[in-house]
Amino acid sequence: MAASDSTETKSASWWSYFFLYDGSKVKGEGDPTRAGICYFYPSQTLLDQQELLCGQIAGVVHCISDISGSPLTFVRLRKLKFAIKVDGDYLWVLGCAVELPDGSCKQLLDQLIGVFTFYNGPVSLAYESGSREELSAGWDTFIEQILSNTSDLHRIFNSLWNLDRTKVEPLLLLKAALILQTCQRSRHVLAGCILYKGLIVSTQLPPSLTAKVLFHPAAPRDQGPPPGGDALQEGGAALPPDVQIRPVFVTEEEAVSLYEFPGEPVTSTPASAARLQEPSAQHPPKGWSTPAPKENNPGHTEAMAWGLATTPEPTTPNTVWPDGSGENGHWCGRDWESVGPAKPRHSARGRGPGLGRALVKEPGLSWGKEELDLSEIHIPEAQETETSSGYSAFPHVRAPEGAGPGCEESGSDSGSPEPKSPKAPPVGTAIGGLLPPSAPEMLMQNGAQEWLGHLSGDSSQAPVPGEDHLLARTSGPLPACCSDSGQTGTELPVGGQGEEQRDDGGPESCPGPGPKCDSGSADPPGDDLSADRTDSRSAPASSVGLVRMNLYTHCVKGLVLSLLAEEPLLGDDAAIEEVYHGSLASLNGLEVHLQETLPQDQAAPAPPGRAYSFTHYDRIQNVLTANLPQVATAQDRRFLQAVSLMHSDFAQLPTLYEVTVRNASTAVYACCNPVQETYFQQLAPVARGSGFPSPQDSAFGLPGKARQKLLKHGVNLL
Amino acid sequence: MKCVLVATEGAEVLFYWMDKEFEESLRLKFGQSECEGAGLPTLEDQLSTLLAPVIISSMTMLEKLSDTYTCFSTENGNYLYVLHLFGECLFIAINGDRTEGEGDLRQKLCVLKYLFEVHFGLVTVDGQIIRKELRPPDLEQRVQVWEHFQSLLWTYSHLREQEQCFAVEAVERLIHPQLCKLCIEALERHVIQAINTSPKRAGEEALHAFLLVHSKLLAFYSSHSASSLRPADLLALILLVQDLYPSESTAEDNDTQETDSFSPAEEYFTPAPSPGEQSSGSTVWLEEGTPPTDASQVQVAEDTLQTLVPHSPGPSSPRRIFLDTSVKENYCPMVPHTMYCLPLWPGINMVVLTKGPNTPLALVLYQLLDGFSLLEKKLKEGQEVGSTLRSHPLMGDLRQRMDKFVKSRGGQELQSTWLEFKTKAFSRSEPGSSWELLQACRRVKRQLCTIYRLSFLAAAPGRGGPHLPQHLQDRVQTLMQEKLTDWKDFLLVKSRRNVTMVSYLEDFPGLVHFIYVDRTTGQMVAPSLSSSERTSSELGKGPLATFVRTKVWALIRLARRYLQKGYTTLLFREGDFYCSYFLWFENEMGYKLQIIDVPVLSDDAAPVGMLGGDYYRKLLRYYSKGHPAEAVRCHELLALHLSVIPVDVLVQQAGELARRLGEASHVPLL
Repeated sequence: MAASDSTETKSASWWSYFFLYDGSKVKGEGDPTRAGICYFYPSQTLLDQQELLCGQIAGVVHCISDISGSPLTFVRLRKLKFAIKVDGDYLWVLGCAVELPDGSCKQLLDQLIGVFTFYNGPVSLAYESGSREELSAGWDTFIEQILSNTSDLHRIFNSLWNLDRTKVEPLLLLKAALILQTCQRSRHVLAGCILYKGLIVSTQLPPSLTAKVLFHPAAPRDQGPPPGGDALQEGGAALPPDVQIRPVFVTEEEAVSLYEFPGEPVTSTPASAARLQEPSAQHPPKGWSTPAPKENNPGHTEAMAWGLATTPEPTTPNTVWPDGSGENGHWCGRDWESVGPAKPRHSARGRGPGLGRALVKEPGLSWGKEELDLSEIHIPEAQETETSSGYSAFPHVRAPEGAGPGCEESGSDSGSPEPKSPKAPPVGTAIGGLLPPSAPEMLMQNGAQEWLGHLSGDSSQAPVPGEDHLLARTSGPLPACCSDSGQTGTELPVGGQGEEQRDDGGPESCPGPGPKCDSGSADPPGDDLSADRTDSRSAPASSVGLVRMNLYTHCVKGLVLSLLAEEPLLGDDAAIEEVYHGSLASLNGLEVHLQETLPQDQAAPAPPGRAYSFTHYDRIQNVLTANLPQVATAQDRRFLQAVSLMHSDFAQLPTLYEVTVRNASTAVYACCNPVQETYFQQLAPVARGSGFPSPQDSAFGLPGKARQKLLKHGVNLL
Repeated sequence: MKCVLVATEGAEVLFYWMDKEFEESLRLKFGQSECEGAGLPTLEDQLSTLLAPVIISSMTMLEKLSDTYTCFSTENGNYLYVLHLFGECLFIAINGDRTEGEGDLRQKLCVLKYLFEVHFGLVTVDGQIIRKELRPPDLEQRVQVWEHFQSLLWTYSHLREQEQCFAVEAVERLIHPQLCKLCIEALERHVIQAINTSPKRAGEEALHAFLLVHSKLLAFYSSHSASSLRPADLLALILLVQDLYPSESTAEDNDTQETDSFSPAEEYFTPAPSPGEQSSGSTVWLEEGTPPTDASQVQVAEDTLQTLVPHSPGPSSPRRIFLDTSVKENYCPMVPHTMYCLPLWPGINMVVLTKGPNTPLALVLYQLLDGFSLLEKKLKEGQEVGSTLRSHPLMGDLRQRMDKFVKSRGGQELQSTWLEFKTKAFSRSEPGSSWELLQACRRVKRQLCTIYRLSFLAAAPGRGGPHLPQHLQDRVQTLMQEKLTDWKDFLLVKSRRNVTMVSYLEDFPGLVHFIYVDRTTGQMVAPSLSSSERTSSELGKGPLATFVRTKVWALIRLARRYLQKGYTTLLFREGDFYCSYFLWFENEMGYKLQIIDVPVLSDDAAPVGMLGGDYYRKLLRYYSKGHPAEAVRCHELLALHLSVIPVDVLVQQAGELARRLGEASHVPLL
């Protein structure tokens, strides 16, 4: 459900305070506390009150951390709760109402810090180089944006804001994905996402990055130079209209994941079938094995998975989110990792590791030079490998696909389980045939990625369980294509019919697939997800490993295309032109279609006859599906209360599968697995029982009802 | 890594308790300062140093923000701090090993506060005086008081982990109707009546007598004149007895702290514990006891309290305790009683509760204190000032009663304090300000508390106050031993194998365990569940039994959590088990009443339970409002099933099980 327009939360009684406090400014006895207050929300709070909160909480943080030997992260009062993050001398504090689950409060704070760091760099740097006023203004709009867009459910899950896919023509989603893939083929561009009126239409980014792009004060607003960044560079280049490029800071994990995905597809194209077969045999599983360190492999796999996911989406629009698909990929990666069966992969990586590590480290080290290093290193390898083992990369990709579908089905599939797997493979093959773009270009652009792909491929020697399947499925042409192919496959038919494809791929439709594949792989967000998620949630603020990148945003009315690119993009007018012109027509087309298709009343009340409420949370993609109305009724509030309780318990008790709770007024059923959580409440007035155990109690029939009713929402609980 | 601290607003330590790991961590932290020559600060000082900033900040927040800390947690939940403010005392519980959740810690604090009340009665009402009780200026006395409560906390923590009755906080009965009947007769005739007809009882009147086998209740008898004993109080008494006479098997478990493990007896009970171990247990107790003072030296002025001379009662000496009663239809909390714990054999104890002749004084003092507390509250809120106060109905009544009390009671200091208050409150010429009134009100309260303290604590039986003569105690003890001597061994085994699951397996296939609680009487029934090394249960020894135990404990914890949030039914699947929880109300006839929405409590509310806050009593009162005409009973059933059992079958079984257990429990046993 889309929370875009919800105004209900404006009052924001749930959000009490947010402040950033710099302890280094208040060292001496005489230093006033106010000197350390960098930002305080709400700003109309009396200064005395601000000082009280900052001073007391800073004191308690110090004291408790001292006794416990681990940093204080959470403080609860009778009517308030504070999530706290210590970052060197800086103290981030978010105060929420007690009704909000503890975990959600902490996650939200991590998210806030992540967004700030993304646009401004490490907090210490940002406040040294930028003025407090400017940064505060940025905070104000940012917080405003969150408050006006966060529904009750989003608050509990800290999920991303999505377009309700059930309300959009699936082809449009597909088209959006294709636009992204096309852009990805441009120099420097790594991955991106498309938003419409603040909601995600399609994303290749891991959820943590998507969230950061999503929270962006819509490109136009910040015409001014970004506080921490280099505004100058921007000025230097004459940007096309409606386009903005600003420097951003990506965490190392996110950077790694960004690099991982794209490589594969590129390589795949040139190598074509021959490569596939050989390498695949040799280096089968690595890539898809994902479990290995966050670095390369996971990325590939995820990418693959993502690709798959994306493909299925079009077919089963309801459940699968464009973004989600990417995440699905993630999920696969994750799953494997978590499951731990594929551990051998690690060893397999062994080879890759060298490279992989290099990559990983690079971002951190290079800071300025990252690009060069990456490109240099990767490119050579990529080329070589490509020709020789380039396929390996593909196989990986494919493997993921094969694996992907399975994974997806289990996980996010809830929505769209059936069609995906079958579709994906055929597509892949088809694409393979189509694809091969110019190998060199590919290499150039995605050198790093490719390289990664190689790594994964090589390393993948270890026997991966899923590989065989993958291979079998992918055995067709190009694996890389496959991932995309999934999409393309679907698309192709579509494309032939519709014109949308053209828009997307433009003339290069053929090559498009290749790139698309890459983009699909780009989704590697999967890796990011696993890495990011944990990271972002646990320790997003760490300013240590930040990688500078460029964020390219192009607004077409309500539609925003956001692309993450390597830094040189800003100086590379040709590349910018390429991206711009490559996507402009498609974006315009997409915008028009979305505007026509999308019901004006996103916030439309749920159908009057609503017989039940449900919420389906995709843990991997961090997105929600639900049918709650914008304005909660009493029964909805009861539902929300139960959901927040159970969500907390699911997070804490890993072996908890199903919960049914009941009070006199309502009964709520919930179930979860590693990739999703589902909550179900029946709205029909229930005859009050006694509470005595009785099979007639409708509460115990909820699981069956949920299974039956939710199928049509694409949630499969079987 | 566990610690409990009670401190004043000024961070003065009133009590602390910590385990070895926490002590060690303190030592590491303060280790460096040792070589500086001044010597290691005492644990108490270290704690105070460490936590003072938190305590002071917490008071500052309360003052400036009208809100205060209730909980801290550090990264990944490694450390958890729970804070609870009772009156002017801040209670802090710390866990650094992730073995306890917030609910557990808060429960521990509430139980500790309850134990303070049981020991000090209404003295706890006044911050100043309770401070002196908990922290006597004399170091030796202080150590005694603290050791006593430290030991009680150990015992409580252990029982909560080991005994189902303490996990769900309900009294567990030993199910044997025939024997129970026999015991009740003996208690009536040979204990209660024997004492109350004895001319030498020194004004004491025996009210209740009961028999315990380990922590289970065998029989209970109350005299006709006695008001009923609250289940929470009974459970607290069981805790005291367990602390006094730890189950004999405890001594055999020498791997943990002395009072730390109460592993049940062996399958076949071995009566005589080794003498050495036994004595080591009791020596501890010789050093401890109720906060000591000597009546002879008591003076009214509070600043002389510290001159009271300690007197360490032996373990068997009678103790002063404070229990809730209803006197002549008047509810009166914390009425002084004397508890005599008479060990019959190791593991089997008889407890006799008596009240002294001055009980009515307690009632009067309670009413006055209650009135003044209410007044204080109003003054604090700034509602009543000047004339409005004078005309307040509460005031008239209070004034009348207080006048009467002062006249009958005399006491110069009380008189002058009361006069001062009256001048401030009622004089038209020079009405005192609200703040002055508040101070005057507090002074009166303090005087009343001092009288209460002198009458019931300073003159406590353990400190030489009136109590039953020793020979009378010996006589009832011997009589009871004679009555039960043939049953002794049986009882000790029975207490370990009380109800067995075997009897249920056939009728309820898939059922692994259950606990059935009657919250009206505060009693529970459950198959024995022991994971001790030495005892084999139906689940066998070791890992399996331990596993099931952890499941049951987790179920209890989750059920409590959801009940706190208003859910009366909970069903969840965890791993290979279905865990279910049901709460319902019925009338005397067993007819099931309609469920209502029960209150949703905040996270910092007193946890669901009986010992700390008596949630269920409040719940019953809440429900009864809607059913004024009938007596309402409240029941709970917790069940653990294998997850292969379909839910409908599970629910059906639960219903059938509850029905069967309900019928059985209707047989009156008390």
